[in-house]
Amino acid sequence: MPIVVYRLLVIGVTTLAVLAPLSLVIYQSFLTAPFFDPSAQAGFLAYSFVFADPDFWQAFWTTITIAGGMAAIAVPLGALLAFLMVRTDVPGREYLEPLILIPIFVSAVVIAFGYVVAIGPVGIFSTLAKDILGFVPWNLYSLLALIVIAGLTHVPHVYLYSAAALRGLSTDLEEAARVSGANPFRVAVNVSLPMILPAILFAGVLVFFLGFELFGLPLVLGDPQDVLVLSTYLYKLTNKLGVPSYQLMAVVVVAIIAITAPLVFMQRLLLRQAQRYVSVRGKGLKTQPLRLHGWRWFAFGAIMLWLFVTVVVPLFGITLRSFVVTWGEGVKLLDVLTLDHYRELTEYPNVIRGILNTLGIGVIGGAVAVAWYTAIALAVHRWNSGWTRLVDYLVMVPRAMPGLVAGRALLWVFLFVPFLSPLKSTMVSIWLAYTIVWLAYGMRLVSGTLLQVAPELEEAARTAGANDLRVKRDVTVPLIRYGMLASWLLIFLIFVREYSTGIYLLGPGTEVIGSLLVSLWGTGAIDLVSALSVVNVLMIGVGLAVAVRLGVRLHG
Amino acid sequence: MADLTVKDVALRLGDNEILKGVSVAVPAGEVVALLGPSGSGKTTLLRAIAGLETPHSGSIAIGDRVFFDAAHEVELPAEERGLGLVFQSYALWPHRTVFDNVAYGLKLRGVSAAEIKTRVEKTLSQIGLGHLGARYPHQLSGGQQQRVAIARALVYEPPVILLDEPLSNLDAKLREEARAWLRTLIVTLGLSAIHVTHDQVEAMAIADRIVLLDAGVVAQEGAPTALYNEPATLFAAEFMGSNDRLDGKLVENSGGRATIELFGERLTGIARTKVASGGKATGIIRIERVRCTSNPGPNRLKMELKAPMYLGERWELVFARENLSVRAYASAPLEPGEHYVEFPPEAMWVF
Repeated sequence: MPIVVYRLLVIGVTTLAVLAPLSLVIYQSFLTAPFFDPSAQAGFLAYSFVFADPDFWQAFWTTITIAGGMAAIAVPLGALLAFLMVRTDVPGREYLEPLILIPIFVSAVVIAFGYVVAIGPVGIFSTLAKDILGFVPWNLYSLLALIVIAGLTHVPHVYLYSAAALRGLSTDLEEAARVSGANPFRVAVNVSLPMILPAILFAGVLVFFLGFELFGLPLVLGDPQDVLVLSTYLYKLTNKLGVPSYQLMAVVVVAIIAITAPLVFMQRLLLRQAQRYVSVRGKGLKTQPLRLHGWRWFAFGAIMLWLFVTVVVPLFGITLRSFVVTWGEGVKLLDVLTLDHYRELTEYPNVIRGILNTLGIGVIGGAVAVAWYTAIALAVHRWNSGWTRLVDYLVMVPRAMPGLVAGRALLWVFLFVPFLSPLKSTMVSIWLAYTIVWLAYGMRLVSGTLLQVAPELEEAARTAGANDLRVKRDVTVPLIRYGMLASWLLIFLIFVREYSTGIYLLGPGTEVIGSLLVSLWGTGAIDLVSALSVVNVLMIGVGLAVAVRLGVRLHG
Repeated sequence: MADLTVKDVALRLGDNEILKGVSVAVPAGEVVALLGPSGSGKTTLLRAIAGLETPHSGSIAIGDRVFFDAAHEVELPAEERGLGLVFQSYALWPHRTVFDNVAYGLKLRGVSAAEIKTRVEKTLSQIGLGHLGARYPHQLSGGQQQRVAIARALVYEPPVILLDEPLSNLDAKLREEARAWLRTLIVTLGLSAIHVTHDQVEAMAIADRIVLLDAGVVAQEGAPTALYNEPATLFAAEFMGSNDRLDGKLVENSGGRATIELFGERLTGIARTKVASGGKATGIIRIERVRCTSNPGPNRLKMELKAPMYLGERWELVFARENLSVRAYASAPLEPGEHYVEFPPEAMWVF
């Protein structure tokens, strides 16, 4: 097979997979009825309906408030955390890193459930506080709590990019400030952080963007007091009218993409700028940590407090809840301990299927997804052509579609294309949705690995007489084996965690833990939800442990 | 075996004109060195011959097999040219053993397993690594890796072997040994080779002929002795050897002799310029031809000895007068103070 055929094939299939759902959504948004309805006509009716709905605007402004608020919390904390971890002698730095990244890998719905059972009105910590203080000093079901929790759980995202930038900075600038009399905090604020401003700016836009993707937290925490964001507005739209109003959903989807697409593009520009900034002074090899002296344990305590609030509280809450019959005021722990919830899990065939499917989508689906990402990356690897840039932009497109939206769009593709319909109720549909949603992330992992292959290793094979495809098979792929393995592990973690993409595709045969959790929560089955959440966290924990053991970098 | 011919090759990388029309011929059995400072385009030319870069004009052929011809839009991909290329970084595949690295070219050519074994083993013993076939590249020393890279390029008997600064990653002592070894190997096997280097001593030692490149054009080509003893341009004269440079005023130019004036004194040398007289001119002389004397005389300048430096096998003396500084070699140190430095007329070129 000539290389041209290979490239055409891979790029063609990818283009189709990426653009079909998007085009269908846009097409649907300009119809007056669902696309399968013979009475559907072209028109702006759906747009005028949605834009006239005060709930939509309410959700829109709430989303902006939450996205802005969480960026305001996550950016300074994440940047400071990066400074402490990369630049100073905070105790136990090497052990803290994987812990810090936990919020990235644990499903947001699980964290949300965790907060409800831990610090909700009758949560474990709330009842404790009430016993001691006589009242509960916080209100979980408030917009402020939602913003604070969203902000705290997104600190690791800012941390990752700030830390990467800081590692590229030479330390003598900081030492100079220290010698001039600045304390560590001033060094961070006056010297280090301003130097990595482009990276921090990028992280800020990223967090703001993630605010629009937020679904699990507002669904669980916003619901009791009817706080809607755009994603939950979309989710509730079906119930609102009682009929399948595809055209209205499509409009909301288009509205969300209209906001996220420019943000994605902006991130791309900012990231390139941030990397340029760092690569200018790339000789940050000498890393003598800044001594904090008296501040050392204070900084350690601050990090621990953040970890306690963001990781320990929700995970402890959900775990404890899964082992007790009930919880409330005046309940004694020893009286209510039980394993029944886990036994109960096994009594539901769909839950069993969900657990197996989740493992399958993580292990097998993850492997196939990495294979696909690698196929795309290899198609454009060392290809000096305008098509390369096109593919670059192509893989960014799904990034603008939050999982919920992509799942919705893909469901329609399965309904719309006759020969695909039989696949709708199989795991193939879930796999396709996951793989498309995480296309940009997966491509970054694989391309990062490919970048490390020295070009002359491939050129040597060319001159020895191997054609393009042969070079890829005999030299490039064997050289990136370990990188592909690492990517597989990370994709496994992501696929096992994923919950929003599978929601609309949920049906007999396509259950995965994530979407089951959301649907079970809707029925109020808190016992099952907490046990299943623990199962999910355990799976991720095992994956994380393997990754850390193998020395896989937990970020692309 | 056939001759390699490169005609008027011009090549652009981005907006940079790297090669501006270069022609080189490599007759079968000859070793040609592509010599030049960094940025002169020597590696790019080598990569263009190998098929790793695409020129925008010119042609490259070996005998009557056309590799590249811009006029007729012929471009043979690298894998079909059948050349051997040794990379500066060696580019040994880390996931294959030494044996498999060397065997790959034969495997691609559909050679039977038994014959691959014989030929690889023969090549490995030729380079003196017969016993290391089962090792992986990272288990070898730098010098051994370099030999494997050469074996890999030789094993399928390419008509021409291309060497891209193959010695530059070795340390100084090893480099001199490897230079002698490589020259012997190439001569024994009767290979045609193109050897890229920025080291003029290496080029003179290894090559039958040197092509000196400067900013994408051939500055001069010829036998090493010709390049060293009869440089055609100021660039060639300055690039080869270690030199003293005397900037002065051209006062006379006739009969192949040119005279420059500096500090009011006249120095005569071999004319390498057509300008009649007047204007600036530069005298270039190899340091080893400069003589130190104690009396005034023709072609001598009164200068002050600034710093004698002991180099082991000889002394290097630095003389100065106003802003002119020249170096000379001597077998014994001289007294500090004033000396007369002689620039023999048959050894100095005036450009």
